[in-house]
Amino acid sequence: MVLGPLLERMTGADRMVALLAGLVVVLSFFLPLQSGPGGRVVVSVENRTVFTAPLDQPRDFSVEGPLGTTHMQIDAGEVRITDSPCPQKICLGLGALGKKGGLLACVPNRVVVNLAGEAVETDYDLLSR
Amino acid sequence: MLRRTLLPLAAVLLALWLWLGATPSDGPVVRTALVMGTLVEIKAYGADPNRLDTAITEAFAEMARLEQLFSAHLEQSEIRQLSAARGVRTVSSEVAELLILGQMVARRSQGAFDMGLGRLVALWDLQSESPKVPSGEQIGAALRGTGPESLTINGQQVKKTDPALQLDLGGIAKGYAVDRAVAVLRQAGVKSAAVNAGGDIRLLGDRLGEDWRIGIQHPRKAGEVMATIALRDRSVVTSGDYERFFEQDGRRYHHLLDPRTGYPARGCQSVTVIAGDAALADALATAAFVLGPRAGLALLERMTDVEGFVITDDGQRLVTTGLDGQLQWF
Amino acid sequence: MTSSVDKSLELEQVRQRVFLALFIALAIAVHAIEFLLPSPLPWFRVGLANILTVTALFLYGAQAAWTVTLTRILVGALLLGTLFSPGFFLSLSGGLLATVLMTGLYGCLPTRIGPVGVSLVGALGHASGQLLMAWLLIIRHPSVWLMLPYFLLFSFISGLLNGLAASYLLEFLLKHPAFAQLKTARAGRLRIKSHTRNPL
Repeated sequence: MVLGPLLERMTGADRMVALLAGLVVVLSFFLPLQSGPGGRVVVSVENRTVFTAPLDQPRDFSVEGPLGTTHMQIDAGEVRITDSPCPQKICLGLGALGKKGGLLACVPNRVVVNLAGEAVETDYDLLSR
Repeated sequence: MLRRTLLPLAAVLLALWLWLGATPSDGPVVRTALVMGTLVEIKAYGADPNRLDTAITEAFAEMARLEQLFSAHLEQSEIRQLSAARGVRTVSSEVAELLILGQMVARRSQGAFDMGLGRLVALWDLQSESPKVPSGEQIGAALRGTGPESLTINGQQVKKTDPALQLDLGGIAKGYAVDRAVAVLRQAGVKSAAVNAGGDIRLLGDRLGEDWRIGIQHPRKAGEVMATIALRDRSVVTSGDYERFFEQDGRRYHHLLDPRTGYPARGCQSVTVIAGDAALADALATAAFVLGPRAGLALLERMTDVEGFVITDDGQRLVTTGLDGQLQWF
Repeated sequence: MTSSVDKSLELEQVRQRVFLALFIALAIAVHAIEFLLPSPLPWFRVGLANILTVTALFLYGAQAAWTVTLTRILVGALLLGTLFSPGFFLSLSGGLLATVLMTGLYGCLPTRIGPVGVSLVGALGHASGQLLMAWLLIIRHPSVWLMLPYFLLFSFISGLLNGLAASYLLEFLLKHPAFAQLKTARAGRLRIKSHTRNPL
């Protein structure tokens, strides 16, 4: 093992430096570095922002559109539309919006949900559908 | 010795500073709005976010203005007025330009693309709460007077052969509006942008010196990408049977209606078209979908400067020769 | 009229330059080899070239360490064709911060610190400097800092190993007759200045 010669070749000051450096390394694992990338959910109605919330805090909320109330839910880092007054409920079938990015919309009720912040990671820049 | 170390150091710092100044690491300005019944996203890159924001506002305003001209729902739209008109009617240059392009695609596709399906679209009424399949007589009546020769266009003078013909620009207007939005962005000095109107995409320039990566929606797995392709300065439009549909007696009835039968076209799950402008790509995607896999692909091959691919109803992929090998499938 | 003392000083200075040039050449070679070797993780490199910077620092002082670092980065980039690429700025900022910390530590505790301690702070400085530049230039996204703990842990280990290697190298070199002059200086904990500046 290298530990024997290593310790043998370290001066007292070296050991102090190693101890401090080790402490820095250990502490760096506990730094609140994760606070940065958390995305925010931004909901707009009629092209006006009406609601925003962090993506990492579970909650239920709703917004009022011309047709009525659209209900949404943030859970496990994802946001989805849970209920909507629109006739075809296409928005309910759109699934969830999470780290993979994208957009949710209930076009009849003029509700748009997207993510702010660059927390998104995708293999593409735009989606043709 | 000191001078010898400091001099390269200073040179390096100067180069670093120049390099940092030359490559702005700013993110794009992204805005979304609901225009033309769909979600439109405009993304623009550049050094001055305020200028980009102004340009995007202008582009959205242009699309909203065009919606006032093309909408089949708004009473006072030019298309509604043209639908109501008897005899010759003078239309705006935008409407004339769009109708001429649409008629070209209608002729090249032997009528698979048709802008005169207003009555048929209203009959199926896929937007309603509980759409159902109309009767054969109803469909026959709705198809009367349609076809590539149902419009006579002479400059800005337009005449319907059958006065009862109702126009519906669903398969082309969105693409045209995207083209106009890109023109507005370009005029405002924007060099790098993308306009995405519910999947009708047009790219302006590149993205940070690289191609834009376009994901194509999987026709049967919601929210999943089937393929990606790298492009710049092109338009990409996908038409699929998954966008608007209802199911009755185990059959899927979608919004891409075949003018030859009056029923939703069979044979394809989706068609993706890559062309110079989005209006052409939009119309061709609809036309190719309606024609079915083989004839649809043949239409795309016949058109110059157009590429694309078809996903057949059994999930097969048919790709135009010019696009072969450029798609990355998932 | 030159005295023998002047001659020996001159000889020692020439010797120092020759060895420094050798160190730089070796550092560049090691840097290039490490760059060209396939790495399981693109950003994790052991930084073997730092062994030579540490050795130069202990043999010839802070200025020599700076010369080795800067010349290695510049010439290495010229050689590999990465000059002014993002990778070049990463290695430059890593090298600058590492050398600042190493020469600083050596300057503060010249008689007590050994190669292992110096190499260790150098490695940690290198990792932090690179990450800082990556954040400034390339990604400008806070999630870059998520990698910091892993970088630091990795460089902690590589720093210790490089320091051990430098320690062996120093021992070996000081046994050689070419460094006989320095051996006397080692009594003053390897401070070259004591005998170049005050040879009489």
